[in-house]
Amino acid sequence: MAYSKSRYLVRRLQLDPSLIIVILLLAIVVISGFVLSDRFGTTRNFMNVLEQSSGLGFASIGQAMVVIVGGIDLSIGAVVTASTIFMAAIVDLHPGLMIPMIFGTLLFGAMIGFCNGYITIKTGVHPLIVTLGTASILNGSVLIYTLQPTGGVPYWFEEFAYGRIWNVPISGLVMLLCFALVWLFLRYFQAGRAFYAVGGNPEAARLSGIQSNRIILLAYSASGFFAALAGVYFVSRTGVGDPRIGDPITLASITPVIIGGLILGGGKGNVLGVLLGVILISLLSNLLNYMNISTFIQWVIQGVIIIIAVSVYVHKGKKL
Amino acid sequence: MSEAAVNPSEGISKIFRQPGRFIVPLSLVLLVGTATLLQPSFLSINNIQDILTQAAPLALVVLGQAFVILVRGLDLSVASLMASAAVLATAFNATSDAMIPVIFLVTIVVSAGVGLINGLLVTKRNVSPFLATLAMMIVLQGIRFYYTQGAPSGSLPEGFRVLGAGRLAGIPVNMLVFFFFFCILGWLLHKSSFGRKIYITGGNPKSANLVGIHADRVTIICYVICSVMAGIAGLFLVGFVGTVDNWVGRGYELDAIVACVLGGIMLTGGKGTLWGAATGALILILIFNIVIILGLPVQAQLIIKGIIIIFVAGLFSRSTQT
Repeated sequence: MAYSKSRYLVRRLQLDPSLIIVILLLAIVVISGFVLSDRFGTTRNFMNVLEQSSGLGFASIGQAMVVIVGGIDLSIGAVVTASTIFMAAIVDLHPGLMIPMIFGTLLFGAMIGFCNGYITIKTGVHPLIVTLGTASILNGSVLIYTLQPTGGVPYWFEEFAYGRIWNVPISGLVMLLCFALVWLFLRYFQAGRAFYAVGGNPEAARLSGIQSNRIILLAYSASGFFAALAGVYFVSRTGVGDPRIGDPITLASITPVIIGGLILGGGKGNVLGVLLGVILISLLSNLLNYMNISTFIQWVIQGVIIIIAVSVYVHKGKKL
Repeated sequence: MSEAAVNPSEGISKIFRQPGRFIVPLSLVLLVGTATLLQPSFLSINNIQDILTQAAPLALVVLGQAFVILVRGLDLSVASLMASAAVLATAFNATSDAMIPVIFLVTIVVSAGVGLINGLLVTKRNVSPFLATLAMMIVLQGIRFYYTQGAPSGSLPEGFRVLGAGRLAGIPVNMLVFFFFFCILGWLLHKSSFGRKIYITGGNPKSANLVGIHADRVTIICYVICSVMAGIAGLFLVGFVGTVDNWVGRGYELDAIVACVLGGIMLTGGKGTLWGAATGALILILIFNIVIILGLPVQAQLIIKGIIIIFVAGLFSRSTQT
């Protein structure tokens, strides 16, 4: 970095407005929650929200990494679905393989992500099309295998989703840990910083000696990995592999990324903003549930949030 | 449909640069050949009528999608809009066929409004087409489910069955309607001055502005055309299927994009013909039929679709790079 410390601080401050907006929105949601519902502002509720937001959180980390390198991953939902089936079906047959299968599933997701990255690099096709294609292939394969929820895992595995350490949900802790690790990686590691370089200007990154292709492959593999982690979480929550569970996740994973100020088109943003986005969405939906607002209206709200967030942030940014 | 009017100076060499010109008709012939070998009755009049009836709703959507892709866009909200149009049609709870024109008119107006919002977001607010239409998809879905509370009720006039699945002198009615729109839109795109503006805008919006074309206006009109076609296609599809549910047309957004890509419409904008797009739709339907003939599960269509889109998009993007 050629920037002096003070210049760097200025640059940091310039990035901050998006974070400030998210924090303000969070404050509004929390305050209206306290005012509108007496069940909202309890530790117990906040811990529940933290636990419920984990699936979305895992999926969004991966999406964020791909978006930072200038791509998009529309196969996340399909990878989540495929992972739940993969894990639940195999563990059902060989219950002894429970622990290795957790890692096996994560590897499975990472491999699918790797394929996405590889096809994108080798063919030069827009990642939107590539990942839509792989999503279609994965969904088709899963639906040929089963149309109903299938398989099963040992009962104790629900501890991953529902278990608590000092009253804090384990899945929530894992999610926070993942965000922290990815944040550290992107900020303090050379490969992590290269993510921003590749997303900002791939040609310049290549000329300055960064192996863009490796970074892109890493980003997509990470996306697949975290999607599979979300899959593992859902298996733990539901105890089965569900051929439909991932369907809404793809779009849902994009919303926090946009709210967090990651400009689609790449090269900018902070994953902590994404974390705040995840918490904002989860708290909002929690509050709307307490207010007995139908899920269908929540969809409308979600769409409107995307439109507003995007038209605020993207106006001066690059197009995808 | 000749493309010569668009690029008069390019000559023969463009045949080599546009493999789609060969691949599209060739694969059509190959597919029909394969299907006939697998099942000799494939070429019977009855089966051809069936296939055309199935292809028409998709082809209607594809016509609109082609316009959006030509101006460097993408419309992911078409399927959601198709279902919304179907639900909207039941809202009249009409029993007499006299209401059909009214239903169509209202659908067209509402769809045009949706397209206008998409277009405005993309042009005036600089939102990526993918996100704008994605958000629109969710919004429409939410409104639709809220209105129906999960399960649509209400009825449609009998006439919808005729429109969606009937035949006139042996030709499927919806195919005639498709042909009507194909001629109008084909004229608009390939013969009118507005069509040229579309190609110039798709080729390079900035230089389009420099030569005095309102690129934003052209783009918005393309989104409106796309949404109107999707709304109309939704009504015809519901006539074909016979029942309304919240997911009429599910998957058509991807199918329409795949058909356009198959038909040689470049996702980078500004290249391709309406003729190609329509052929792409027919190819896709033929592939689906062959999947059924082969006795494969219906879900295999999803796998094949995914492979095709990656493969064909890769093929075209290679050929433009060199």
